[in-house]
Amino acid sequence: MAANAQGVAEAPFVWHPATAAEAWQLKQTLGTEGVYTAGGTLLRTQWEAGLAAMPNHLINVGEIEELHGIHIDCESGTGTLGAMITLSDLRTSPLVHASFPLLTEAARSIAAPSIRNLATIGGNVLSLVGDSLPALLIYDPVLHWHDGSNGLQESLSEWLSTAAVHAAWRERLLIAIELTQPALDSNTKRFVAYHKVGRRDAFTPSVVTAALSVQLDSDNRLSDVRLALGGGQTIPHRLELVEQFLTGKIANKKTITEVYALVVEHYEPKGDAFVPVSYRKKAAANLIASELWKAVR
Amino acid sequence: MKDSMKPLSRLETSSIPCTLNGQEISLNVPPAKRLLHILRDDLEMTGTKRSCDIGRCGACMVMVDGVPVNSCLTMAYQCSGKSITTIEGVSAGGMDPIQRAFLEEGGFQCGYCTPGMIISVKALLDHNPDPTPPEIEEALSGNICRCTGYGGIKRAVQKAIEWRREAYESESVHD
Repeated sequence: MAANAQGVAEAPFVWHPATAAEAWQLKQTLGTEGVYTAGGTLLRTQWEAGLAAMPNHLINVGEIEELHGIHIDCESGTGTLGAMITLSDLRTSPLVHASFPLLTEAARSIAAPSIRNLATIGGNVLSLVGDSLPALLIYDPVLHWHDGSNGLQESLSEWLSTAAVHAAWRERLLIAIELTQPALDSNTKRFVAYHKVGRRDAFTPSVVTAALSVQLDSDNRLSDVRLALGGGQTIPHRLELVEQFLTGKIANKKTITEVYALVVEHYEPKGDAFVPVSYRKKAAANLIASELWKAVR
Repeated sequence: MKDSMKPLSRLETSSIPCTLNGQEISLNVPPAKRLLHILRDDLEMTGTKRSCDIGRCGACMVMVDGVPVNSCLTMAYQCSGKSITTIEGVSAGGMDPIQRAFLEEGGFQCGYCTPGMIISVKALLDHNPDPTPPEIEEALSGNICRCTGYGGIKRAVQKAIEWRREAYESESVHD
């Protein structure tokens, strides 16, 4: 079998199913011998790092039409992103920018253009720790899977909460991600922010990735608060307790001081040898506090 | 088995058609083989450089259908039906103005990262002839230089933008 200088095999079979049903059937037949592949950028990194062995079979899902396309209905404020949409598509789509601006900013901050031209939103989501996830979580995302039957829909939040321990989803094929824009009440404005803090701008797991969306009235009273945190090996999630605390409060120095302490207390990131948990908590709290401050300035 | 589900395997010998620097070719290689190794080892086109192997440094940058991609991350089957441009293709008609700008502005020292830099700049300027400084930084964010620094590279990009603009204006006057 051919191998590169690092000894990574380069001769798996590559299958090219034309439909989601065919891809799913192949996966059932091949079992752990077969791996779905889209852009392949994360898989390649894992193979090179020895974190995963190159499988005997790759199931290329890139030719499945139903996985492609950005469909946004500006009137209803809903949209669907095909799992094969590249991060470059997200970065440059004016439709995405108009309806889901945090996704544009998230895409800008992931890797570099050359990788974004290959890497897909589906792959970023299925990594469980991709930096698109905090941004997606702001938009009430629903995952659409092909599971061999009539399809399965599942909230991204729910899936993330169990995906690391329950591996059954690996048998399914992610088709698309459905999003809903937050509605804007009259006499209010919406403030959104996405931030990634890391030891480098890109190409290294972030210390904290934060996404925030709040609605403010003329008194700076907060409503429809949405706050998601992730970064590094932390599986991103909404901070519902903090969201509830902020809802109905006037964003002022006292509130921002209190929310800082609340984030430090309740956010539970994963630490590593470079950045301990305590630092990540403070970095996250600082990001949230500073963005709220910007929102009311 | 349906034709669409027929695997491209290492046993197949002539199945990946693509265009390389304007020439139609067929890649007779394992389908998951990296484009980087196909270019350097099989086709002996060594202008594309090998370095990190994981898409971090940009030394192996090529254009596929006009956009930059890391050839160390691109598998052979992903090139099927695509148009690939390497640094050899950029200079096929003589030195490209971007290459000349790198020479004149000292945009290199050891030169190992330069082919990848040139490819990224060409992809940027072909798509956006008058980029802003943040757009230039974003376009080059996947290319790392570890000896000369980025001052000369930024000057080279600005010079290439000027030359291309002058060439365009000159053509417009003559039309």
